[in-house]
Amino acid sequence: MIKRIKEIYEYRTMISSLVKRDLKGRYKGSVLGFLWTFINPLFQLLIYTFVFSIVMRSGIEDYYMFLFVALIPWIFFSTCLAGGTNCVMGQKDMVKKIYFPREVLPLSFVISQFINMLLSFIVIFAVMLIMRYTFNPMAILCLIPVMITEFILALGFTFILSAVTVFFQDMQFIMGILTMAWQFLSPVMYSETMVPEQYRGIYLIVNPMAPIIIAYRDILYYHQVPALSTLLWALAMGVGLFFIGWFAFDRMQRHFAEEM
Amino acid sequence: MKPENAIEVHNISKKFKVYLDKGRTLKERTLFKSRRRYEEREVLKGVSFEVKKGEAIGLIGHNGCGKSTTLKMLTKIMYPDSGTIEMSGRVSSLIELGAGFHPDMSGRENIYINASIFGLTKKEIDDRIDDIIDFSELEDFIDNPVRTYSSGMYMRLAFSVAISVDADILLIDEILAVGDMAFQAKCFNRLRQIKSEGTTIVIVSHSLSQIEQICDRSIWIHEGVVRMDGSPYDVDPEYMRFMSDTSLASAKEKANEKQAEEEAKENEESSENNENTEAAAEGNSSEGESEENGETKEEKEEKKPEDSKRWGSKEIVMKKVTVLDKDGNESKVFYNTDPVRIKIDYVNKAKIDGTVVGIAIYRDDKVHIYGTNTLIDISKLLPLKEEGTIILDIERIPVNAGLYIFDLAFHKPDGFNYDFWRDVFRLEIKNIKSEVGEISLVHTWKTDED
Repeated sequence: MIKRIKEIYEYRTMISSLVKRDLKGRYKGSVLGFLWTFINPLFQLLIYTFVFSIVMRSGIEDYYMFLFVALIPWIFFSTCLAGGTNCVMGQKDMVKKIYFPREVLPLSFVISQFINMLLSFIVIFAVMLIMRYTFNPMAILCLIPVMITEFILALGFTFILSAVTVFFQDMQFIMGILTMAWQFLSPVMYSETMVPEQYRGIYLIVNPMAPIIIAYRDILYYHQVPALSTLLWALAMGVGLFFIGWFAFDRMQRHFAEEM
Repeated sequence: MKPENAIEVHNISKKFKVYLDKGRTLKERTLFKSRRRYEEREVLKGVSFEVKKGEAIGLIGHNGCGKSTTLKMLTKIMYPDSGTIEMSGRVSSLIELGAGFHPDMSGRENIYINASIFGLTKKEIDDRIDDIIDFSELEDFIDNPVRTYSSGMYMRLAFSVAISVDADILLIDEILAVGDMAFQAKCFNRLRQIKSEGTTIVIVSHSLSQIEQICDRSIWIHEGVVRMDGSPYDVDPEYMRFMSDTSLASAKEKANEKQAEEEAKENEESSENNENTEAAAEGNSSEGESEENGETKEEKEEKKPEDSKRWGSKEIVMKKVTVLDKDGNESKVFYNTDPVRIKIDYVNKAKIDGTVVGIAIYRDDKVHIYGTNTLIDISKLLPLKEEGTIILDIERIPVNAGLYIFDLAFHKPDGFNYDFWRDVFRLEIKNIKSEVGEISLVHTWKTDED
């Protein structure tokens, strides 16, 4: 396993150039180019503000911000679930013809989505500055472990799903539906306090994304240090899933080239 | 693993499941389980070979014989079902060119992406990017997006990246047919240079001339096992002969089938007269046999003991080859300053309009000294009569003293052989001077006083 990590490290340039290709290549040819990375979340935010402050007023103060700080991390996770399924199969030609540690593909996919999320956070911070939100430096610092937890969780899922998709291509469509269901089962559009109390315990235990999203909201919306106990549980699940995912991926990758 | 070896392949086997009706989707998998029939095809049935460090070997064989699968296992894209593969050193493979190219990115950016997929680090790419650009001859276009490139330019860029990867073991899958002739020659020279630096090379190719140019050894894989392993000079003709025999056999089979069909039709038409038709059919078949026998006898007479050194469809046949000196007398001994005339009498039974005529010269230690053909020289086919003579005049053969073996061939531009004749004749070349080395340069010395 150490050998494997070492080998993946040797291919670090491949990871970074695949990430760069994805980030830069996406908007190549468009007039605004890389700016789209910022324009997209900004306009999303404007639309939410319009809808939820003027049309559908909810009881929550600054609902657009309440929603947005949860939606950005959720989009990262859900893209890994739905889009990540195809990250090995989509590079069929490469996998069939060239040797490289196959882990590079899911890894670079998740990293590039992660960077996209970070860029969206820049927009959030900019809006927060303009709207004169107060910053709690201690809380902001907690953002780092929260993001790492989410990253590990997303990577674990992407490992399993991308490998399974090679053998079973319905996976990507199944994940499209499951991801939607999962979004409504996570406290993205509502607060977890709205979940009936008798279900809340199990709600937080079964769904590792619930504590993660709550933590993001605590930090960016409520400006407070998140509850670490639930976050630790999410981290444990993330690490567990990561290793299971990697193990499963490693077992399946030997047969990738034949199955494609 | 023996220390002198770079690659050891021990008894590897591989089966593929060939699905007759592959169900990939959930519906197909659950509802039509019985429909998912598959055949197990054994592609490799215990292949073993060793490659020494610094050696260049060619894997040859017809389509589906398992040579590409073997290469894929060496590359670790696939794994054998049983048996082991051991390799020492950094392995790099030129199986796919232009992997990961993004059409909207510049040539330079794509070099970075492509090279990184081969496992190079940023620093390593920085070190060699100038060489890569230089080799590709695309300096003026390197910052343009790759989608603006012609396909030739695209392949040149891709090949330049691939060839810049340094490795202890280089695996190559018939990708050398890249770009124009000049660039191909350049690629070959580069490969030779890589080889001379001590890199072990494994090439899979259809084109035997490619293999002969660079390999020390050919391994012929046939139906999943190693059929022959030896010097290209010995293995390749056997393989070529086998291939043209099988293609002839399949052509004959088709002809026979046609004949049978026609006979069947005739039978239907004249069903009244069963006995007669049977007799006629017998007559036909025995006629065919005697014809065949006659043909083979003729061939044998022409070929004599050099049976294994000659192959092809025999649509055009070299009837007689003579080597003449400047006075028009037959000779087998020449000085390296003498003119040599090669006279080929041919019979063109199939009335083919034109052909490529090629010549190759080997030294008796099987070093490939020279080769050319009419396609290279005058880039067109040589017109043929039904029977005639072709003359090749050589001003001099500027090699050092030794015994030289000559091959001649009539073939199509795509390499299909009408008549390939290995070791048609041998010439002893003499050198008046006791020069050293492989060739003899025409030269003069001068001083200030001249």
